[in-house]
Amino acid sequence: MRAAWFAKLPAKSRLAALDTRAGRVALWVMGVTGFVLGFVYHGIVFLSGKPAAMGLAISYNVVVLLAAAALWLLLSLLFQRRPASTARLFWSTLFVGGVVLGSSWLVSLIGRPSAAMAYTAGFDYETGVPLTLATVLKMNLLSLLEVTFAFVLLLRFRDLVLFKRSRSSQRNWYLMLGLMVFASLLVFMRPPQSETHWLDGVVMVPAVLFMVINSFRLSWIVFLSFREKIASIGLSLLLLVLLAFKLASMDDAMAMGVIDITYFAYYSQPLIVFSTLALIFGILYCTTAFLSLLFHLPTTGDFQRKEDELAAMHSLTNLVSQVFDLERLLATIAASPVEAGAASATWLAVRDLGSGSLRPQIVATHNMDPVRVMELVDVQAFYDELSPSREPLLLEQAPADHRISAGPGEGIGSLLVIPLVARDEMLGALFVTSEVAHGFEKDDVRAMGVFAAQAALALDNARLFEEQVEKERLERELSIAREVQQKLLPQCLPVIEGASICASSVPAQEVGGDYYDYVHLGPHRLAFIVADVSGKGASAAFYMAELQGVFKAIAPIAPDPKDFLSHANRALSETLEKNVFISVLYGVLDTQKEELVLARAGHCPAATIDLNGSARFLRTRGLGLGLDNGPLFRKTLAVERHRLQPGDVFVLYTDGVVESRSPQGEEYGYERLLDALRENRHEDADTLHDAVLAHLNGFIVEGDYGDDMTLLVLKWHGITLPSAKEQRANGAENPVAGSRGDGSESQENSVPAVPASTKA
Amino acid sequence: MSSFSVGFRSSGVVQILELNGELDAHTASELEAAIQKCQSDKQYHIIVNGENLQYISSAGLGVFMAYIEEVRDEGGDIKIAALRPKVYNVFDLLGFPMLFDIMETEAEALQKFTDGAS
Repeated sequence: MRAAWFAKLPAKSRLAALDTRAGRVALWVMGVTGFVLGFVYHGIVFLSGKPAAMGLAISYNVVVLLAAAALWLLLSLLFQRRPASTARLFWSTLFVGGVVLGSSWLVSLIGRPSAAMAYTAGFDYETGVPLTLATVLKMNLLSLLEVTFAFVLLLRFRDLVLFKRSRSSQRNWYLMLGLMVFASLLVFMRPPQSETHWLDGVVMVPAVLFMVINSFRLSWIVFLSFREKIASIGLSLLLLVLLAFKLASMDDAMAMGVIDITYFAYYSQPLIVFSTLALIFGILYCTTAFLSLLFHLPTTGDFQRKEDELAAMHSLTNLVSQVFDLERLLATIAASPVEAGAASATWLAVRDLGSGSLRPQIVATHNMDPVRVMELVDVQAFYDELSPSREPLLLEQAPADHRISAGPGEGIGSLLVIPLVARDEMLGALFVTSEVAHGFEKDDVRAMGVFAAQAALALDNARLFEEQVEKERLERELSIAREVQQKLLPQCLPVIEGASICASSVPAQEVGGDYYDYVHLGPHRLAFIVADVSGKGASAAFYMAELQGVFKAIAPIAPDPKDFLSHANRALSETLEKNVFISVLYGVLDTQKEELVLARAGHCPAATIDLNGSARFLRTRGLGLGLDNGPLFRKTLAVERHRLQPGDVFVLYTDGVVESRSPQGEEYGYERLLDALRENRHEDADTLHDAVLAHLNGFIVEGDYGDDMTLLVLKWHGITLPSAKEQRANGAENPVAGSRGDGSESQENSVPAVPASTKA
Repeated sequence: MSSFSVGFRSSGVVQILELNGELDAHTASELEAAIQKCQSDKQYHIIVNGENLQYISSAGLGVFMAYIEEVRDEGGDIKIAALRPKVYNVFDLLGFPMLFDIMETEAEALQKFTDGAS
């Protein structure tokens, strides 16, 4: 968690370009070549015994500076690839410093200069020419070490200075580096013994100014733990001593006697200036860091707590967006206050959202067993007290409250109850306990309130999500139910000599209570039914399915209308709810006798029209199925017999036809139905069926029947129709083209597509 | 959305329910509640006045079927009065006149209760 901020550092675009294998190899080659060339140069000077020519000297200085730049970039890439935590930055810098110091000391042991040469450390005072080979070796190695350390120091501290960087802090840092480089380049090619120029001082001032500014970039301290702060204090102090020692040895090379800075001075003036400036910055930064760490030490606990609270809040806020698992969410809500260190135990009581019961259930606990909670605390009482006010309730001395049966020392010293309110509804309550009395400060209560608001939001989202899932599940179920119901309706239209039949059914909802069907009773007889279960939707659909079974089973064995309807009434009365009934029109067509027998059990009367346009409703007596399960049903049922004349049309329908309303609220009604029939009575069944539906749809809002709608048209052509013979030759029943009674389809196309009917 | 309301009125021991508006699947529960209230008040002599009932669906008719048995078991009855022709037609199609006393006026229905009681 603490190292996470590294991830947020923007990638350095310029460096990133170099951070490829090829880039790194190029930098290595450049650095190594540069330093090797430097060594060779000094070797040549040593061997020749006199200073190099001007041109060669300039080239040397440029090459060495380029090598140093390559080294800087290599180190920069290295540290960028391996970021360290703030506490470790001090440690690694100190470590490198120690290694450099030790190595320098070891190197300085090589070929100690004789007493005569001691003052100039093995260089000719006049010309600066190294006098021994050891001097050449030492000056190269020592300089490399010094430069490396200066770079490591700066690059490591850069991560501290640029912690939580802003545009201005970044600008200050690069300005400081720029000024340091500028000051270093001013002494390019200057001999080590020369006096300092007044310009050097002038340039130094802004560089130091920016060093001071950057030294106060210490925001990383706040995020350290107590232990890390202690460690950082020690490390920064040690580093301070080390840096001060190095700086002192820079000032007066001989005085310290350990490392002779003279070697470095003869190597490259700009580099020594840069290194010195880096040391000064290091000392400044270590000093401010040390002092700041010291002052922050006492408040670490508070910062730590706030940070933990923030982290807990943060984790919950994250959860809001991933509420797919209600169980996990509840557990997290209960756990967060304890994890934030603000409570010793928590539990969450939520109203049973499914049943709507007002009794709160303990759905999650942390650090306390749910059974024990029930034993010790009257959750219901607290919940009831909270419900009207919806304000947090704080018991400073919980054991004294009558609703808490825990004695002192049983883990509930003080209790805080916070309502979880979302969208003006109290979803539950969060119970937070502390082991000690007066365990919650004012700001704890406030923080917990904020937390509870977040938690309530998350809970509400989770609930909505579950509801949505449930809704989608129901929709899927309904669409399956719809398919199943469609299969209960006839898939083919019947073929019977001398007659044509066409029918369709459209449920008002996914499933409905309308039913129509046929069953062959032999080559010349056909039983047919149109029925309407009271109500609509799923319950009606179940009874419709039951009726379908009854029709298919009973009609073939008891085809007589009176028998069939009485059997059906008895069978269905047992299962129908008291407030549910089924109206039925049942008929038997006999093509041999040229007779149609029809009975009406509470259903809308069938309409009939003959070739001359004489139309009427067949309103015979009869109770709906399920209204009476005694003898009354059979006794009151009337049966009507018709001698069929060619051209006779019978129209059976449900109230979805006659009760469908126009946009103005007017019902389609019986008269309009007869009008439509009169107009189209010469057509065959399917054309007539379509014409009636078109007439109906022209009157209402297209497809919006308001109720389940079923329409069956039967036309008697007489048995001599030529088309009947054709049909017979073709074989059995025609499959329904564009299956009828498909609600969605029919509702989209106001008038169902070409009806599938069979002319017989 | 269809609107529906039930008005309560009493004439002697007879509780009169005045139906207003459209009685369908959505509003059936209001009539159910009204009849349940009569039952809990031990009022089993009920007249449903349909003078202002504009429409009734099969679900609305179901309410009468749901309670008639209980009410008759308690020695009472639900009589229906003053239906508009169109609404009466719906009752009639299903054969309700064979199961219920459906009178042209409320007074006739009241008279029927009096006759029955004597």
